[in-house]
Amino acid sequence: MSWFTWFASSPTSVPASLAASQPHAHHAVSLGVTLFFLVLLILMILSLALEEKLHAKKSVIVGVFAVVSLLLADIFGLLPLSQAGRFFVENPLHEKIEMPVYIPAIDWGVVAIILGSSVFVDVTSRSGLFSWIAIKLTKASNGDPKKLLTYYGVMTVLFSAVLNNVTAMIIVGSLTVVSLEKLERREKLLGFLLIEGLLTNIGGLLTLISSVPNIIVGNAAKISFAKFFIVACPYVAVATALTIWMGAKLFKIEGLTNEKEMAAANEKVQSFDENDGIESNGFFWFATTMTGLFVGTLATASFLPYIKDLGMGYVALGFALIMLIRYKSEADKFYQAVDWDLLAFFAGLFVVIHVMEHAQVLALIGKGLSVIVKLGPTLGSGLVLISASAFSSVTDNIPLAAMLAKILGNMNTPSSSGLWWSVIFGANLGGNLTPIGSASTLVAVTIIHKHGLKLSFGEFVVKALPFALLQIALATVYVLLFLR
Amino acid sequence: MSKLDQFESVFKAASKERFHYSPQELHSILVVTDLPEHEAKLYTDRIRDYLPLDGENITWATLTGEEFDDIGGLFEGIEKYRPDLICTYRNLKSQGWQWPYSLGEYLDVLTQATTTPVLVYPHPEKKEALEKLGQLKNVMAVTDHLAGDDRLVNFAISVTPKDGTLYLSHIEDKRTFDRYIEVIGKIPALDTDVAKTTITQQLLKEPRDYIQSCRDVLAQHESSPKIEEVVQMGTHLDEYKRLIEEHQINLLVLNTKDADQLAMHGLAYPLAVELKDIPMLML
Repeated sequence: MSWFTWFASSPTSVPASLAASQPHAHHAVSLGVTLFFLVLLILMILSLALEEKLHAKKSVIVGVFAVVSLLLADIFGLLPLSQAGRFFVENPLHEKIEMPVYIPAIDWGVVAIILGSSVFVDVTSRSGLFSWIAIKLTKASNGDPKKLLTYYGVMTVLFSAVLNNVTAMIIVGSLTVVSLEKLERREKLLGFLLIEGLLTNIGGLLTLISSVPNIIVGNAAKISFAKFFIVACPYVAVATALTIWMGAKLFKIEGLTNEKEMAAANEKVQSFDENDGIESNGFFWFATTMTGLFVGTLATASFLPYIKDLGMGYVALGFALIMLIRYKSEADKFYQAVDWDLLAFFAGLFVVIHVMEHAQVLALIGKGLSVIVKLGPTLGSGLVLISASAFSSVTDNIPLAAMLAKILGNMNTPSSSGLWWSVIFGANLGGNLTPIGSASTLVAVTIIHKHGLKLSFGEFVVKALPFALLQIALATVYVLLFLR
Repeated sequence: MSKLDQFESVFKAASKERFHYSPQELHSILVVTDLPEHEAKLYTDRIRDYLPLDGENITWATLTGEEFDDIGGLFEGIEKYRPDLICTYRNLKSQGWQWPYSLGEYLDVLTQATTTPVLVYPHPEKKEALEKLGQLKNVMAVTDHLAGDDRLVNFAISVTPKDGTLYLSHIEDKRTFDRYIEVIGKIPALDTDVAKTTITQQLLKEPRDYIQSCRDVLAQHESSPKIEEVVQMGTHLDEYKRLIEEHQINLLVLNTKDADQLAMHGLAYPLAVELKDIPMLML
């Protein structure tokens, strides 16, 4: 909403600046109404947590709550509409545009980043670049299980950082299945997939675009891509190393010592052909260059002339379109592959949060949060991180991130505050506590089940808990020591 | 989870069968005939002229018609020599050679009950076919599943003269393929054209990649035969008749054993019954 500010009264009666700085000034909401909407919010979160049981997609769940809460908000007179029931936005040139009240509720910058990155990654993967890297690393391991775990672990983190957690898990997970079957080490599959699933959420911390919570909180806190990377990198490096080391110990993934076994394993992995998925060498190198440029542009987007005005969403969409030129006649196939469920979920969620803001629900939660924050930079930040982790372990971390980002924004929390990082670390790492805590761990469990291995909810928690506790403890120490 | 399947497919396709060179050493060859001793010797001489394996290290022996009366007797005779290769012909001790419908009980059992490869020649009564044998030059390995079949290729290399040509063939049965495509054409969820194109490409790509691997490996060994690729869709019998003619093939090498059944491998039997004028090495 950097361009447009919205206002509640007639198109000419309220200055845009006032509306922007005091969005709730005109609302007088009773506690009863606020509590009523709080119950709605809790119901939505519970429904998201029970997504699998309900057999419903997130977008549908949140969409229903968005439609219902908008209607109720209008009935209760909570929406910032004019007396004629109209809604306008005004840009810095004082041009006024009428539009539906729920449109500016959505953070279109974030939608653009997700949409653009998704298409970019999808087209780039057609070049064979990611499978080429994955197979090269497999061959470099010479088929040694311990080296393979290390390489796949690092690859999971890097792919999660550059792509997204789910795509990273799909690429590394599917290669793990194929290579371990080739190496006749299927008994190690569960350990490999579980560790990779846990590492996607570590990799998801590395850059501003690595996960949706990062994008939401980073945008709200105005943290640049480069700053995000510099802050997150040390933690990601240490957490990755510890997770791989611990995984190798707990799942007894050991290196080969017998020369005959080493030679046989090497022979098997060398039969992978990294060039098999490359349809065109020209496009492969083009995609490689564009990926480097994409990451480079995102990293410098906050200070590149003009680009800094247009934002990262513009960069993502721009690069996606450049890549689509290669497949211009079949671009529609890539549009079909976009995760519309995520985008619709995201749009619906922001509408719900918008309503909750006007129903003073966020202010109420903010009061509770301010009690924790007032405990001081040490205890406060630590508690925010731990409670955010606990919350994201049972439901989607996106609503949590969106809600907390909004609340911290409303509390005028400075960009340098460790509280933003507590939310980022908590929202990402909480996903490692349960199999439903994040989409990528859910993918890992799906691959595990697809290949006939048994892993119940409880068994996942038991196996993942030592890793998750270590990662959360490490993050807490990191935030408290270096980021408060 | 379509993306998961997509990437699993990418990696499975990248995992290729590689050829492992392990030439078969043939030190002792046993010729099994139902002929009297003198004729058996002549027949053996004809075979020796054809097969370019002669040398100091090879021992030739002949089992004549007088040395066995039934299949048990034949096995006893073979056990005595323990050969690396058995040379024989169809319809031993039978008049069945006059009718083109069977291989005869001896050959049926021999190909399935022993692990020793059997080189089947035209029947001694088929004089014209024997005269046309000439000397072995062009060999064709015959299969509908070439990728990974190191044993077949190694045997084929072992019998191909160094100055000869080895045709590695893989023919996908077009009738079966068309039947599947016809069924796919009735399933709305599957794009028929995409299925037809991509399945054809993948079916033919695997043997081609394997043949390339054979070439790469053989390039590291001196005096290897020239390798030619024959990978296509078609009707087995018709295609092989055409290919034999077109490339002047004078030996087919094929698998006859099938782990799932006692009967001869599905592709081998009709070829062995119908292509009686060309020698076949049956593994």
